[in-house]
Amino acid sequence: MKKPINPEKIRKFETMRKPLNLQDAIKEANRCLLCHDAPCNKGCPAGTDPARFIRQIRFYNFKGAARTIRNNNAMGSVCSFLCPVEKLCEKECSVLALEDPININGLQRFAWEYGKNNGIEKQYKGNQNQGNVAIIGAGPAGMSCAAELAKMDYKVTIFEKEEESGGVAKWNIPDFRITKEAVDYDLSNLKDLGVEIIYNKKIESQNEIPKMLNNGYQSVFLASGISEAYELKLFEEYSNTTNYSAFLRDVKTKHNEIDLKGKNVAIIGGGSVAIDSATSAAALGAKKVYLISLEHLDELPADKEEIKIARLMNIVFKAGSQITDVISTDNEITGLKGIEIEWIEQGKFNSENARQIDGTEFSLNVDLVIQAIGTRSGKEINKTIPGLITKGNGIVIINENRETNIPGVFAGGDVISTGATVVQAIGDGKNAAKAIDNFIKKGGR
Amino acid sequence: MLQKLSITSLRKEEDKMRAKADLSVNFCGIEFENPFCLSSSPVSNAYEMCARAFDAGWGGIVYKTLGMESTFKIVMPSPRLNAYNYGDKRFVGLQNAEQISDRNIADNIKDIALLKKQYPNKVLISSIMGFNDQDWETLAKMSEDAGANMLELNFSCPQMAIKTAGHRIGQDYESVANFTSIVKKACKIPVMAKMTPNITNMLPVALAAKEGGADAISAINTIKAITDIDIDNFTPLPNIKGHSAATGFSGPSVKPVALRFISDMYNSKKLDLPLSAIGGIETWIDALHFILMGGTTLQVTTAVLRYGYRIIEDMIEGLSDYMIERNINSLDEILGKAAGKIVDPADFNTQYQVVSVIDEEKCIGCGQCYISCHDGANQAIKFDPETRKASVDEERCVGCMLCKHVCPVWDCVSYREVDTKVDKHAAIF
Repeated sequence: MKKPINPEKIRKFETMRKPLNLQDAIKEANRCLLCHDAPCNKGCPAGTDPARFIRQIRFYNFKGAARTIRNNNAMGSVCSFLCPVEKLCEKECSVLALEDPININGLQRFAWEYGKNNGIEKQYKGNQNQGNVAIIGAGPAGMSCAAELAKMDYKVTIFEKEEESGGVAKWNIPDFRITKEAVDYDLSNLKDLGVEIIYNKKIESQNEIPKMLNNGYQSVFLASGISEAYELKLFEEYSNTTNYSAFLRDVKTKHNEIDLKGKNVAIIGGGSVAIDSATSAAALGAKKVYLISLEHLDELPADKEEIKIARLMNIVFKAGSQITDVISTDNEITGLKGIEIEWIEQGKFNSENARQIDGTEFSLNVDLVIQAIGTRSGKEINKTIPGLITKGNGIVIINENRETNIPGVFAGGDVISTGATVVQAIGDGKNAAKAIDNFIKKGGR
Repeated sequence: MLQKLSITSLRKEEDKMRAKADLSVNFCGIEFENPFCLSSSPVSNAYEMCARAFDAGWGGIVYKTLGMESTFKIVMPSPRLNAYNYGDKRFVGLQNAEQISDRNIADNIKDIALLKKQYPNKVLISSIMGFNDQDWETLAKMSEDAGANMLELNFSCPQMAIKTAGHRIGQDYESVANFTSIVKKACKIPVMAKMTPNITNMLPVALAAKEGGADAISAINTIKAITDIDIDNFTPLPNIKGHSAATGFSGPSVKPVALRFISDMYNSKKLDLPLSAIGGIETWIDALHFILMGGTTLQVTTAVLRYGYRIIEDMIEGLSDYMIERNINSLDEILGKAAGKIVDPADFNTQYQVVSVIDEEKCIGCGQCYISCHDGANQAIKFDPETRKASVDEERCVGCMLCKHVCPVWDCVSYREVDTKVDKHAAIF
């Protein structure tokens, strides 16, 4: 049982769903079959162990549930809001064969909030005597790696370019999808573990990471995330266009100052960030919000849950269509021309494989275009270390030990695969921590 | 290649930070690391199973009842279980026609000895059932020699296929006293007598066991019951080739009955023996209820039948957190704390009267309280067909709280005290 999404809350940028109360949580946990082999666990890239925390709730061991989440997932609170559960744990849930799957992230939110509100003990501060590790970036991958290493008694320092930590959860996910408390709580737990975070520290010169490695850090974990959003050449010359990253950051930090009333907004793209942008634009009062994607509705990379939110907010889906022309006055976009497409070959969702359908041309009046078509990582990452090998558009290459070609330098999160989810980044961080521990225990560089 | 992340290794980290309460109890001079025991049943059937239960964290085990196969050979009926379901809730109770152990006695004794050797700090209690005086003596000696910490005398199995054993003995005060004293003479380890609930008053039997020298009482064994009938062939279930029997019923459904018997015995000054409480325990809250009613140790089977040994983790962690939160240093501090509040209904303070209070904000308008009060109480609930909200007519309300218990919103209905000297109150007028 999921709590309904409240569009009024979305318009106010308040959490769109009420938390499960005690009655809801007990009922929901009682629906769980407490499976022998817990397929939900296998569906969690971060190893959060949902089977265990649901069982703990089922048997009224609420603090135990909170401990399981916090201990297994350094961003367990954030994940309870952001995880695409329908593609992960809930997709694997045995109950799905009988009825709706268990509301796993709802129970996860219930549990960590219970722990926080009922005085769960602080996490154990490590001895910090196993060595020093530097982590670049205080997002999901970096924070998760830091937590694991701290628990293994390493002294961990995170260098974060922003003035606060949390990565995308802090800067890009609109307030109606996540509470500030979730981000803050995960951070406070990390601090309890003894992790030091140095803010406003951007790695700018090629010397800095080699210097870290020569000056006391046995290993460095690169988790600096995405660097910039991809923008289309088509819109290059126009002023009233932006990318999702800049837009969502503005939404996150100053939505009170953005007024889209009476405006028509077009979002280009069909993933989670496109939906977040579209929903935010609608929440900010836009007259019409169009979401234009090559993928058809059932092919959108966004979660069904996100599409549901967009529908509640009256987003107009122009799914399965392509922009053919920009209508403009001076360098201002005033409209878009588009056409519906079909795939030449099934299963390949790119423009080369799209065939335009005659007679389906359409045009839209548009005041703002938000491009949400992925990220161009890399350009910066190459500058961080001399000789770091990346591929294609700058994705850092790691081996099966999560190590880059530079000994002692590991990488995870969006720098190794753009467009991954928060929960995958957490898994990356955890695995990297294990790898870094092995590396240092074997003598290091 | 990277090793797969081990969740077990991380749990140890967690253990470092959590404050853990001391759950140990002393029962008949024996130290239990926690009060949670498996009761004598299929869950404690052999070495391999008991070892896994100890590994999972159970503090003690009452081994499945031993009998002398030379006197009576056990053959289990089949099928022998039937669940009691209510609506979509399955397994709210369980009926079984299980007999005592059908394994070879020598194998069982070997297993008990091995368990004590492998788990010297865990408590192993040997449950025995004689079919005559000699059997009781032999079984007691064999168990003690094998290293059992304690004995439990099974006077209470409600479905023994032999008429000189089980709950028939448990209703016969003289036999209980006699067999207990035979066992007491045969061994030095503490002896606990297990009571049948298939009796109006448990005290005379418990007192008979005490007279025979029992050091403790365990209760309850299962309640004789019939859980279902096949309406096509008129055969009660379990259908054992055309017949069935009223046999032992257990699980969450029997907990209220068990709490009552435990409180009866805890409140008896004459009995004054430590109690091992049994009956529908599934969670730490169930366990706590029995502790508050006077159970020093606790025994569990049906919940393990359903969920496995793993439920012990949540019992331990939940009870420990409860104690830490309330600064309870040992379970002794709260033993029997609720039992003293059980009085004879003649002693109720009837000057105290309440009326229902419905939280209009929380009311979802289903009208269940209206129906129940209208047909089952004093017609004190008003239902507004326009707003679909229920409200209380305080002059008619007798404060029975039927409305609270049928309400699907758990915290919607509460009550408040009324001044019976000033307010009109339906229960008084």
